[in-house]
Amino acid sequence: MAHRGGERDFQTSARRMGTSLLFQLSVHERELDLVFLDHSYAKPWSAHPDASSARPTRMLFVTPRRQHESTIQMMDKHLCCVKYVWSGPISSPVYSESDVPIDVETVTSTPVPLYDNQKARSVMNECERHVIFARTDADAPPPPEDWEDHVNRTGWTMAQNKLFNKILKALQSDRLARLANEGACNEPVLRRVAVDKCARRVRQALASVSWDTKLIQWLHTTLVETLSLPMLAAYLDALQTLKGKIPTLIDRMLVSSHTKTGAAGAEALSLLLKRPWDPAVGVLSHNKPSKLPGSPLILIASSGPSSSVFPTSRRHRFWQSQLSCLGKVIPVSTHLLNNGSGVGVLQCLEHMIGAVRSKVLEIHSHFPHKPIVLIGWNTGALVACHVSVMEYVTAVVCLGFPLLTVDGPRGDVDDPLLDMKTPVLFVIGQNSLQCHPEAMEDFREKIRAENSLVVVGGADDNLRISKAKKKSEGLTQSMVDRCIQDEIVDFLTGVLTRAEGHMGSEPRDQDAEKKKKPRDAARRDLAFEVPERGSRPASPAAKLPASPSGSEDLSSVSSSPTSSPKTKVTTVTSAQKSSQIGSSQLLKRHVQRTEAVLTHKQAQVPISSEQTEEVEKEDLRVQLKRHHPSSPLPGSKASKRPKIKVSLISHGDAAGGACAPSQGGAPEVSGGKPVTMTLGQASGAKELTGLLTTAKSSASSEGGLSASPASSAVSSSTAPSAVHTLQSRLVAASPGNSLPGATSASSLLQGLSFSLQDISSKSSGLPASPSPGPAPQATSMKLPTPMQSLGAITTGTSTIVRTIPVATTLSSLGATPGGKPTAIHQLLTNGGLAKLASSLPGLAQISNQASGLKVPTTITLTLRGQPSRITTLSPVGSGAALSEEPAPQALPSSSQQPCKFRGAPVAQWLRAQLLNKRWAVRIHQPFLGNPVGQFCCVL
Amino acid sequence: MATEEAGDSKGESALSSSANRSNQVPEKPNYALRFTLLGHTEAVSSVKFSPDGEWLASSAADKLIKIWSVRDGKYEKTLCGHSLEISDVAWSSDSSRLVSASDDKTLKIWEVRSGKCLKTLKGHSNYVFCCNFNPLSNLIVSGSFDESVKIWEVETGKCLKTLSAHSDPVSAVHFNCSGSLIVSGSYDGLCRIWDAASGQCLKTLVDDDNPPVSFVQFSPNGKYILTATLDSTLKLWDYSRGRCLKTYTGHKNEKYCIFANFSVTGGKWIVSGSEDNMVYIWNLQTKEIVQKLQGHTDVVISATCHPTENIIASAALENDKTIKLWMSDH
Repeated sequence: MAHRGGERDFQTSARRMGTSLLFQLSVHERELDLVFLDHSYAKPWSAHPDASSARPTRMLFVTPRRQHESTIQMMDKHLCCVKYVWSGPISSPVYSESDVPIDVETVTSTPVPLYDNQKARSVMNECERHVIFARTDADAPPPPEDWEDHVNRTGWTMAQNKLFNKILKALQSDRLARLANEGACNEPVLRRVAVDKCARRVRQALASVSWDTKLIQWLHTTLVETLSLPMLAAYLDALQTLKGKIPTLIDRMLVSSHTKTGAAGAEALSLLLKRPWDPAVGVLSHNKPSKLPGSPLILIASSGPSSSVFPTSRRHRFWQSQLSCLGKVIPVSTHLLNNGSGVGVLQCLEHMIGAVRSKVLEIHSHFPHKPIVLIGWNTGALVACHVSVMEYVTAVVCLGFPLLTVDGPRGDVDDPLLDMKTPVLFVIGQNSLQCHPEAMEDFREKIRAENSLVVVGGADDNLRISKAKKKSEGLTQSMVDRCIQDEIVDFLTGVLTRAEGHMGSEPRDQDAEKKKKPRDAARRDLAFEVPERGSRPASPAAKLPASPSGSEDLSSVSSSPTSSPKTKVTTVTSAQKSSQIGSSQLLKRHVQRTEAVLTHKQAQVPISSEQTEEVEKEDLRVQLKRHHPSSPLPGSKASKRPKIKVSLISHGDAAGGACAPSQGGAPEVSGGKPVTMTLGQASGAKELTGLLTTAKSSASSEGGLSASPASSAVSSSTAPSAVHTLQSRLVAASPGNSLPGATSASSLLQGLSFSLQDISSKSSGLPASPSPGPAPQATSMKLPTPMQSLGAITTGTSTIVRTIPVATTLSSLGATPGGKPTAIHQLLTNGGLAKLASSLPGLAQISNQASGLKVPTTITLTLRGQPSRITTLSPVGSGAALSEEPAPQALPSSSQQPCKFRGAPVAQWLRAQLLNKRWAVRIHQPFLGNPVGQFCCVL
Repeated sequence: MATEEAGDSKGESALSSSANRSNQVPEKPNYALRFTLLGHTEAVSSVKFSPDGEWLASSAADKLIKIWSVRDGKYEKTLCGHSLEISDVAWSSDSSRLVSASDDKTLKIWEVRSGKCLKTLKGHSNYVFCCNFNPLSNLIVSGSFDESVKIWEVETGKCLKTLSAHSDPVSAVHFNCSGSLIVSGSYDGLCRIWDAASGQCLKTLVDDDNPPVSFVQFSPNGKYILTATLDSTLKLWDYSRGRCLKTYTGHKNEKYCIFANFSVTGGKWIVSGSEDNMVYIWNLQTKEIVQKLQGHTDVVISATCHPTENIIASAALENDKTIKLWMSDH
């Protein structure tokens, strides 16, 4: 992005102001900031005289009116022409038509997209590159261009024909969009929009047959077999998109193909389909979200009682994980009493508020010095505001604030929210139904609390921007979300910095920061010295004994990298809540910092159930599992474990489907199967297949690495160091975790996976090679270079990385049977992963966790050996086959034919047509016929 | 066969324009006949310069497409294959391919170098009247007397989309410079603008008295469209606002679908053929007629401008059957 480099100065000054890069790139009232740069004392022009507490509104992606209408670029050429009607916003009738100079040549320069175009294009074409994986028979010649004519439809039922045609039409439209958008400056975004549209149509078509298993499986098989490669790529793109939305249905559809293509093809396909690509992949991961100072606890107020029937929306879950980059996130949910029967709305609301309130009090009592930030969506935002009136919190963030109620907009004299004293940030959509920017300004004037407003251009109640907006401005939702997040950070940073000063805890926090590193080490050791903790049942009723590190400064517990990576999911059941409120009400809000020791009460917070999505994801990888006979600690299964999966796939197998024993030498590793390594022991299983699972901290002392199939019996203790380091780095292994809830880490996190693809076709060096060589010690990691070539880098959302091909010599990734963890070890521990993380965009999370925020709980490394033939997989670029037509030689020309040729006047054809229609009289006109006038007479 | 002209048969306004030659912006062009290309045996329907400026392609009622060298006016080759008259021909952006629209209800894609027909696009149910490549030349748009506009994939020759565009024959179709929009004009008096990617109609331009639209084209930057109607009028529209900005009159155009063009290589002109056997040149800004080119002996059905040099090619119907190349100093 040349754009970026040129604006470096501007950026640095922008940094000082706490605004983000994306924000700088986005359309907003920039002149406002420019004034601030030089005159920090200046009052913003938009400041309201009566509302000193209301900070000026920030506009995100709100297109100013003047940009809509004017074609400013024209002015560049004719600097004197500012008054032109044409280029100005005012279409004044003062100027006559001839005054208007018209430039028919100058092409309006298109804005530079906000994302990394090259990378976006690379991920965009992922499906095209890997389309061959879907083919059952990879060696068969690709269907010809006129494949449509070759489809044998005999024996198809009516339903099959109908469905096939529908899908075909959707794919054809998609093809048109692809071709038409080709080369456009914001092609990735346009493509994304088009693919989404195609996916929607495919989904509709499939829904029209009620996802009839037989029918959709037939459809999938037929499409895969018959479609031409470009069309198949479009189909895969659609599947990829749908997979993210309705994974189980799509899985059902793909089942049949899996059995046919073999596990390797299926694995490759499922990898490809794992997550839809996002054009903004590069820029988002390059510009990581910054952490908040003072390590605040972020409480998310739910916007309704939770229910298993209506799980929280994907969007909210996504945001939850986004926010966990900023600080420790604690979602608070309420369950319906009596399954919702006989519970009034008011009662329910009280419950919700009560739940949040009790949580706030609880946190106050446990972490008296922690700043608390309340965040809520829609109704949850209101709940957060209400709680902030009752209890002390540091700041409130309202996302999609519902200003308009049944009784009109909020802000009447009796509105309790007017009593708020907590700094509050409102983020609303420009096109929101429940809110209006102008009404919001009125409301803000009345609030006494310091407040800010961010208006997201073209966004709805859930801050989602429209398709048209995406198209016209080259945006993606992920970019908008990041900007919103940056705004939140911006606001909270200001508030928290001040709050920190008030509380006087700053020096302590700094101390904590300094101590981080040594403590890490200490904790690492500790973790392995207390194996008995691993067997602790993690049932909700469990009472957690004071942890060994319980005497540590509490702030460090959360700010240290080892503990905070976990996202705590805590559910306060209503039964508990009442008692907690009672007891915690006795606690003062501002307790002086003490070396608090955890009480038993804290441990009573039950762990919420695991997220279904997580489970789903794992189910996807149906992999060979072999349980280790001697599982050290079978009892700790119940605890939620963060996982690191390492799967090694040989692409040769993927394509060919045949076993490659020469590659292996390891009996367990059959060719088509992913070779994987397992770390961990919580389940007690050394899963040779490839789930590299680290147990949760308590169990980590037993962590072992059994990378080599030959040494499946290697006891975990032989290779503890790898796991140790690994865990302390990646997993919150801290014994200092005070709450069991904190160990249920993975619920929020989507997991993070990346593939290491080996394009060097060094398949001979098998990952699990049994030969005990010292060579593996020299881990050769060549990161970025081949990335571009093969590089399909996808982040669905910024937490998620899909496929990051990394050229790694496979041999170095192998593990020696001695149980000495080598390459993987180094990769994951010796800064290898950190390097990887810092060099690979999207692995940001991993490096993040190192500095103390959160960690993705699932890391999948897929190491692929890719034979060189795969490189032939470039997008189908078969030149237009010449369908030669013998040129007829000098046909006898007969100018008398009743043809409409440009040389014939218009009237002739029209007349003939009309006459034909009306009187069925065929009139042969001479080639140059009658003028229109005659034609009219006839009529 | 090409006949080279002596320098004396200049256009009528050549003298007056030479007086202004010293000015930065020339008031008037001084187009003068350079070559007359003889070869077609029937009325010529369309002439087009290749984007690289090397070649001129012409289509005619003799079912042939002929390629001429622009530099010396020499006949280069003939592409034959259509079974009926050809109404339109268009170049791909890389000047390697041609597409032709014929009364035999098909379009053909030609490889110019080899002179072979690569693909025959079948699907229209009536005469195909007009055609164009998109800027990337991976799509072709065609308009037909079956009142539809079709979008074709060049690679496969498949029709990707059929736009039920109009209620009368479609007389002209054109892509804008970015390839995102298609404009179509029809005898029903409408100009429609389509989103090329989705095939949705984005805008319809209607004039007050609804004369048949005989030609329509985007300006080189895609901001305006030029329309010709059968009431002897050319209009320049700002289509985003649906406003007519300029009107060019003075020529005669009531019966034929005559091509018009933007000339941007020297001064900014509008160039069009006329039914009074002349080529008319207007000043784009002032709307004055700045030059009329005399020489043809029949209706000038097509006039086109060279992409980089001040050259105009014009072609006339069957009393004439010739193509003439005109050149100007500015």
